[in-house]
Amino acid sequence: MPVVAAAVCPHPPLLVPAVASGAAHELDDLRAACLTAIDQLAAADRLVIVGSGPVTGRWYDATAAGSFGPYGAPDVRVGSGDPVLPLSLTMGSWLVEQSKTAALPRTLVTVAVDETPESCLALGRSVAEGPDRIALLVMGDGSARRSEHSPVHLHPRAEIFDTTVAAALDSADTTTLAALDPDLARELQAAGRAPWQVLAVTTGLSGSLLYHAAPYGVGYFVALWTTP
Amino acid sequence: MAEPEVRERVLRLGERVFGPGEFAVMAIVNRTPDSFYDRGATFATDAAYEAIDKAVADGADLVDIGGVKAGYGEPVSEDEELRRTVDFVAGIRQRHPRLIISVDTYRSGVARRVGQAGANLINDTWAGSDPGMAEAAAEVGAGLVCSHVGGLTPRTDPHRMAYDDVVADVIRTTTALAEHAVAAGVRPDSIVIDPTHDFGKNTWQSLELTRRLDELAATGWPVLVAVSNKDFIGETLDLPPGRRGSGTLAALSISAWLGARVFRVHDVPAARQALDLIAVLRGSAEPAGTRRSLA
Repeated sequence: MPVVAAAVCPHPPLLVPAVASGAAHELDDLRAACLTAIDQLAAADRLVIVGSGPVTGRWYDATAAGSFGPYGAPDVRVGSGDPVLPLSLTMGSWLVEQSKTAALPRTLVTVAVDETPESCLALGRSVAEGPDRIALLVMGDGSARRSEHSPVHLHPRAEIFDTTVAAALDSADTTTLAALDPDLARELQAAGRAPWQVLAVTTGLSGSLLYHAAPYGVGYFVALWTTP
Repeated sequence: MAEPEVRERVLRLGERVFGPGEFAVMAIVNRTPDSFYDRGATFATDAAYEAIDKAVADGADLVDIGGVKAGYGEPVSEDEELRRTVDFVAGIRQRHPRLIISVDTYRSGVARRVGQAGANLINDTWAGSDPGMAEAAAEVGAGLVCSHVGGLTPRTDPHRMAYDDVVADVIRTTTALAEHAVAAGVRPDSIVIDPTHDFGKNTWQSLELTRRLDELAATGWPVLVAVSNKDFIGETLDLPPGRRGSGTLAALSISAWLGARVFRVHDVPAARQALDLIAVLRGSAEPAGTRRSLA
């Protein structure tokens, strides 16, 4: 069976209330949109969380640990044992744990942030193999160069890049996602390019964009793709 | 708080020697039109000289001259940075022959020229991004501030900086730079290390560095702290740059108690007063006069 549903979420540490402290309310709407999307994955047989990491194709099981300690909040953790998950998958697990999808069997897999589009698609095909009805949670951020106050300074092409991605996520346009230029994405510091291209192997899904904004100068998207 | 163990080395800057327990106040005087706190107040030459005179009168031990805004902003060429700093340093030296002059720069070419003009200390805030910095400081007989910016390139902001242990990372980076500086010929007693709050750090990480500053002091290298009006104080207290004075003094005081030696500040009189009290509390200075209930 193919991928029957997918959610797309960003992974800023700031999304975790204990990391954001008094600023947590500023992302209430983003957090709610993420959970709305992830809740809709609960009807699948199992979940695969895809996120950027140092290499492509490193798999983890549902108990793998991740920590927000490297960002200053050591008490916020997922899983058990020594932290091994990259930020994207730590964030994905943290969101899933709070959603209606928490009980679904799940695995996690990395894709290198600079992976070629061909290899991203190949990973996507291997993820979708097998008899199960699979749900994907794809973790990825837009450009970190959206405004004068961005972590990395404003790039004139950042907004149009993110707008293109937003439209593709809204219409489940896998052709556009598969065609995103890795060099441009690197220049724009758009960490989501490779994970979105893993998503680009899906077929027959219809999309809906639940959130697109850059409140701190980094593009955040939430989208839900489901079987019509 | 237990009284910290005082086992500090002598710090030698210019003609001044700071013994164990003696605090040095470094006044910030920017020759920039766009720095975050003063917004160009001392960009003009006359205003800058007046700021120097006032800092000295207020009790500053050294002044730190910056020709380029630390954060992102208009590009400043090396020629323009030299124009803003070299003659100014020479002018300060003429007016204040014994004042310790520090220059905040990440360019070895600037370090060399301001050193020739009379600067005693190079404040390399971008942590050796110019590999020739230590050699330049050695060549002109200046001391060196060894910083930590988590690998950022000059004038960029941190994005999701992650550390297994930020204090350990700071100690590893700054002491390696200090040892490199010694090897390059900088006087060992003229080298200080700076955890460089906010640079390459989120607020949690800068708070952690402040809380655990004793671990930096335990390396034996004199520690400089530059916490004045920084964003980690502003984010902690939800206050804009102009209203962080009391928070600054609190962070400065804790740093002093935990062993910092040099304090880079905007408000010299406030820092001087706080540090003079802490010096007495730590037992490294005598009260000015204790008559109360003793007559």
